[in-house]
Amino acid sequence: MIRIARRRGEGSGVRRQLFTLVAVTMTLVLLAFLIPLGIVLRGTAADRAIGMATQAAQGQAALIAADPEAANAISGDDVAPGLAVTVFLPNGTVAGQPAARTQSVELASRGRAFTAASGSGVEVLVPVQGLPGGTAVVRAYASPTLLHQGVGRTWAVLIALGLALLVVGLVLADRLGHRLVAAVTGLAATADRLAEGDLDARAEPTGPRELRRVGAELNRLAARITELLAAEREEVADLAHRLRTPVTALRLDAEAVADPDDRQRVNSDVDHLARIVDEVIRTARRPVREGVGAHADLAAVVASRVAFWTPLAEDDGRAMESFVSATPVLVRATESDVAAAVDALIQNVFAHTPDGTGMRVEVTARSDGGGMLLVADDGPGFADSDVERGAAERGVSGSSTGLGLDIARRTAEASGGSMRIGRGPHSPDHTSQLPSGALITVIFGAAQDPPPGRI
Amino acid sequence: MYRRRMPHILVVEDDSSVRTALLRALADRGYATSSAATGMSGLASAVDGQPDLVVLDLGLPDVDGGELLRMLRAVSPVPVIVATARDDEKQIVRALDAGADDYLIKPFGAAQLDARIRAVLRRTVSPDDGRPAVIEVGGLTIDPNSRIALLDGASLDLSAREFDLLRYLAERADQVVSKRELLTEVWRLPYGGADKTVDVHLSWLRRKLGETAQAPRYLHTVRSVGVRLTAPGAQP
Repeated sequence: MIRIARRRGEGSGVRRQLFTLVAVTMTLVLLAFLIPLGIVLRGTAADRAIGMATQAAQGQAALIAADPEAANAISGDDVAPGLAVTVFLPNGTVAGQPAARTQSVELASRGRAFTAASGSGVEVLVPVQGLPGGTAVVRAYASPTLLHQGVGRTWAVLIALGLALLVVGLVLADRLGHRLVAAVTGLAATADRLAEGDLDARAEPTGPRELRRVGAELNRLAARITELLAAEREEVADLAHRLRTPVTALRLDAEAVADPDDRQRVNSDVDHLARIVDEVIRTARRPVREGVGAHADLAAVVASRVAFWTPLAEDDGRAMESFVSATPVLVRATESDVAAAVDALIQNVFAHTPDGTGMRVEVTARSDGGGMLLVADDGPGFADSDVERGAAERGVSGSSTGLGLDIARRTAEASGGSMRIGRGPHSPDHTSQLPSGALITVIFGAAQDPPPGRI
Repeated sequence: MYRRRMPHILVVEDDSSVRTALLRALADRGYATSSAATGMSGLASAVDGQPDLVVLDLGLPDVDGGELLRMLRAVSPVPVIVATARDDEKQIVRALDAGADDYLIKPFGAAQLDARIRAVLRRTVSPDDGRPAVIEVGGLTIDPNSRIALLDGASLDLSAREFDLLRYLAERADQVVSKRELLTEVWRLPYGGADKTVDVHLSWLRRKLGETAQAPRYLHTVRSVGVRLTAPGAQP
């Protein structure tokens, strides 16, 4: 679940990245389009205002040219909102909207019509020649209000349109991202289930063609794994048959030995052989049992097994202490294998130490992942030769066959860890809590986590 | 009683050494025997020879033992003990569901096979359709049919293995049963000298019977020999 949640988090990241990419791209495109358009529209509004002013000035000039008295009839009000007309007569009087006689007016009175900026507005100056007193100048002034009339509204419409397009684009990107991520998350969830051993898991081909193809390939891979495991199961079943059948014949023959001493000795050998055969079969079955992603909580398994053995410890008068990590210690092995290893180690203490011998079981998490299991007892401990052999070879306890320790060692090594046998610390000052007899240290490798998905 | 009639045991086993050893061991224990090396010849022998019991190996060369068992069940009610090297629980359940009366996991000894043959024959010839009787030892009541165990009228919460262990001991009340026998008969495992499986289950059983090793009531350890189930107050 944690893995899927993490993949979902990665999926959200992809979705967010796609979302951001579309947002940035669309914003840039819209700005590149809307800013020049806004500038052009602003210029068009100014041109329209100047055109109105020119038309007003020329119309007034034509009237005055036809009838000089017409100048006196010009109203002092704006001829249109933001458009004021002023007539500068040759005798120095001003008709219409009051205005100062600027240098531009003086220039126009020399017979040149032109347009000039005036403050934040624009003035259009048209001379009227041929009047009795000289040349009059008609000035039409377009105020900033007229120059920018409608520009704000147009820009607002453009911005609204741009935002609407951006929102539509983002929604589409989100839908596309969701579709992609849903398909990839589905694939990741299927891969996780397969990794955890659920070989019935299959991906539903959805999303783009490439992802559908990946899904189909994943399904093909799952089917192949199932086939291989089935074949391996068959081989292991056949192995059990091939090994146990001759041992059966051997046992039956051994029981038929006439001499009681010989019979007992041969029977004991057959028992030993049978246990080794069982262990060989058990080991051969390991990949079949584990599937493709074994993991177990070492702390929980050890706590459970210690609880299981406690009644026998009480009956035998043994002090059985356990110090198990309160938090889960995930290791790469199946629960049944870890339980078998722990049972083998605890059973080893019961079998090879006198009643009343105390023992201590500890589980701690390792900083680099995995966990460490310590099983120590107050018994006589291993002989030096056993310790040396155990460290160099595979761990064989004093009087036992070593099979129990071998189970633990194999489980540890299969998980990527190791096992070491030795003696507990002889600490006269009792600084160490570990008993001073046999000490077995089992390191379990960390449960494998699938590599982070590149979604 | 059935020994006097020399029960006829048919052994269907493809491995000649196992087959020979089985036939010899069964003959030594007073059984009339016949054998077949293949599934189809075994089926023919079971129909024609009308044995009292069939010991059937599941791994046969011509036909799967499970399939043969179904075919046999279709034509004969003869009791069948499956002898298999496969210890997969699902396969064992399948064999029992297909009509096997008991099973043995290889490698097994002749004594264990003999005990199972006797148990199966006892069940099949008993008047109450082979249903085992309720066992009572002191305040202990064990019903093998419903798998319910009562102690002084109160139900005991036993695991499947604990129930089997208690039943086995109760069937042999007042007898000392060795741990080796318990391991082979109840667990069906080869005995290992260092094996403490039986001990820990006995400890659990003691807890559930409300006693300890130091103050036993029903379960008495006989050091270096085994364990004995006895009603409290009864003389061993």
